Amino acid sequence: MTKLFPVQEIGSLAKPKWRTKGLRQRLSSEDLSEAEEWAEKLDIQDFHDRAKTILKTGDDRERVKAVLELSTLYGLRLFETTGVDNDGVGGEQQRVEMYEHVIKAVHGMNLLGHVHSFDNKYFNKGVAESKISRKHPIYVTEFLDVKKYAHRAVKVPITGPYTLVDWSFNGYYIQKQHASSPKTRKIEAKREFLLDIVEQIIRPEIRNLVDAGASWIQIDEPAVTTHPEPQEMELFVEAWNETVKGFSCKFSDHTCYPSEIGYKVLAEYAPKLDKCDQLALEFANRDTSRLGLDEDSREGYSDLNHFVEAGFSGEFGLGVAHVHDFTGNVSPGAGKSVGLDLIESPELVRDRLLFAAKIVGDPAKIWANPDCGLRTRTWDVAFAKLANITKGAELAREAYQ
Amino acid sequence: MSPEVQLAGIHPRSERLIELTRSYERAKASWSQVEIQLAQETKEVIKLQESLGFRHFSDGSLAWQDQLRPITRSLKGVESGTRYSRWFDTNTFYQKPIIVGKISASEIDPKNFLRPELLTGKRDRKITLPGPYTFSQLSENKHYKDYADLLIDVALAEREIIWKLKSEGVTLFQLSEPCLVYQPYREIFRDQSEVDLALRAIRSVVDASPRDFVVQTYFGDAAPLLPELLDLPVSGVGIDLFETDISSFMQEKTSKTLVLGVVDSRESFVESPNWIADTARKFSDKVSVRDLVFASNSDLKFVPQEIANQKLEALSKASELFEGS
Repeated sequence: MTKLFPVQEIGSLAKPKWRTKGLRQRLSSEDLSEAEEWAEKLDIQDFHDRAKTILKTGDDRERVKAVLELSTLYGLRLFETTGVDNDGVGGEQQRVEMYEHVIKAVHGMNLLGHVHSFDNKYFNKGVAESKISRKHPIYVTEFLDVKKYAHRAVKVPITGPYTLVDWSFNGYYIQKQHASSPKTRKIEAKREFLLDIVEQIIRPEIRNLVDAGASWIQIDEPAVTTHPEPQEMELFVEAWNETVKGFSCKFSDHTCYPSEIGYKVLAEYAPKLDKCDQLALEFANRDTSRLGLDEDSREGYSDLNHFVEAGFSGEFGLGVAHVHDFTGNVSPGAGKSVGLDLIESPELVRDRLLFAAKIVGDPAKIWANPDCGLRTRTWDVAFAKLANITKGAELAREAYQ
Repeated sequence: MSPEVQLAGIHPRSERLIELTRSYERAKASWSQVEIQLAQETKEVIKLQESLGFRHFSDGSLAWQDQLRPITRSLKGVESGTRYSRWFDTNTFYQKPIIVGKISASEIDPKNFLRPELLTGKRDRKITLPGPYTFSQLSENKHYKDYADLLIDVALAEREIIWKLKSEGVTLFQLSEPCLVYQPYREIFRDQSEVDLALRAIRSVVDASPRDFVVQTYFGDAAPLLPELLDLPVSGVGIDLFETDISSFMQEKTSKTLVLGVVDSRESFVESPNWIADTARKFSDKVSVRDLVFASNSDLKFVPQEIANQKLEALSKASELFEGS
């Protein structure tokens, strides 16, 4: 029988200080003390040999390569140690972040500066200044390192074309439009920009990854629920179907933090997505922090009904752990709040999985994961959250035995 | 007189301030360092408005983490901090207010809203607040059985907050009501009774001093609602010209000020002063107004600061061109 409620990561982990500093300058043995502590926890047996290489080399490129490889190895081992079944790419240690990492590899785009996202979080927003093309492969080097070290299944998260366009200024593409209405100009510019991103950037990237052995690609599209108007959703479906056309690997979508009506609209269009085997979605953020299998306690998961009603027949990656700051109350047994972190208890994870399985009607279709990448949490917190997700999944499995 | 130019919400932070707030998050900078930079940049935003000939001055709300938070934190019966939601169709988020009890104004600290000490010498001060309808629509109601009661309680509490801010010298309040015109949140188009309710809530905020208020709409087409908006007892009404179909206006006439959102806060391309003035002229041909104000269609925080400042400069030049036409 296939394992019920397998656990997956969604993408990013925080970058350790030694990884960030090591990309900029030479490291001292003191800089690597944190890495040494984690080496024991994660059973990195050749840490000292690797540390020696990093400390000894005077060649910047060699150091950067060794630091990136080591941080990828750490990310993979963190996932493995916590019991995660699919290790992704080890926490995206080789990427700046999901948007900028891609934009820097695109001819014709320029990063204009940071704009506010929330609290003290920002992103560096790009603009298309001319017709775009790919400078170089974006994810393949990372994937080859992952392939070398992963002990478990691997999924490659990539940033989706709709999100790349939605998070960018249209610039060149809007200036070449001639419609008199500003609104129409924007829509026409977006479509042209989007189809260029698919053809020039994303499809060549998927081709490279598949040729290198990738068998599962997660397309991150957090922006898709931003514009729930039919013409935008149809644009998203058109871009998705164009993206996956002709490839035979597994594809999944990750979407999070929708607008009020977001998931309902995504549900309506999800069955139209070709080859979309899984939707990995954020739910814990909108759920209560108390135990229970009743609808009130599990209010955050009610949107799953929309997907079932719309006839989406694939798997669900269920967000069962919050990934942002938390300052609310936690009921007894549901977890603990430490500073700005919520560590969900295994029992809360179990209840969320069982409730979702009831709605979906088939526990074999449910994966457990955090709402989104864990890059905003420390490694200690990410470790605790993932460990409790795997324990919670085990408890949910027991309920089916 | 040439059209006045105004800030219409939160101004973006500079790269320097962004870096400092990030360092603060990583415990590499102290909050006092952040505060010093915030004060410095607030002064720069005020200075920029002076140099561009603004008549109403805003402090730029640089410390605001989202458009709702200062109000949220000033209300009894409202909690937040557990859930983030997307701000309309942008890539920015707000802490969702969760209504857990009867709403009323709590102890109001004006420092959560503006920096009056940095606006010294500025007689006309402007602040942008979410209107009662938008605030209530973007909140999660876990207490009120009747939405009308919730909305009116938000309005009454907001009126108290505004009263307090008046004592800090604020003379112009922009009540932002994007939810009146933004449709995709809605599964069913709001019916007339809800519009009436929303307008009643706005009236109960503004009725003591209607001249001190403008109601700003954005991210949606204001044309269908314009006659009713113009009936509100406020000095001005704002519309987003990137969403509003001005060709549908039928030679309207009003004694109110119209705030034209005529630069796009969600696109980096800086509109030319000629295009802005020309667009405003096309609008004037359709709607006869007492005064025009030029502004961005919403908060400029969606573009980097340098671009935002260029857009303000373009508005200022366009205002001169418009007057000369």
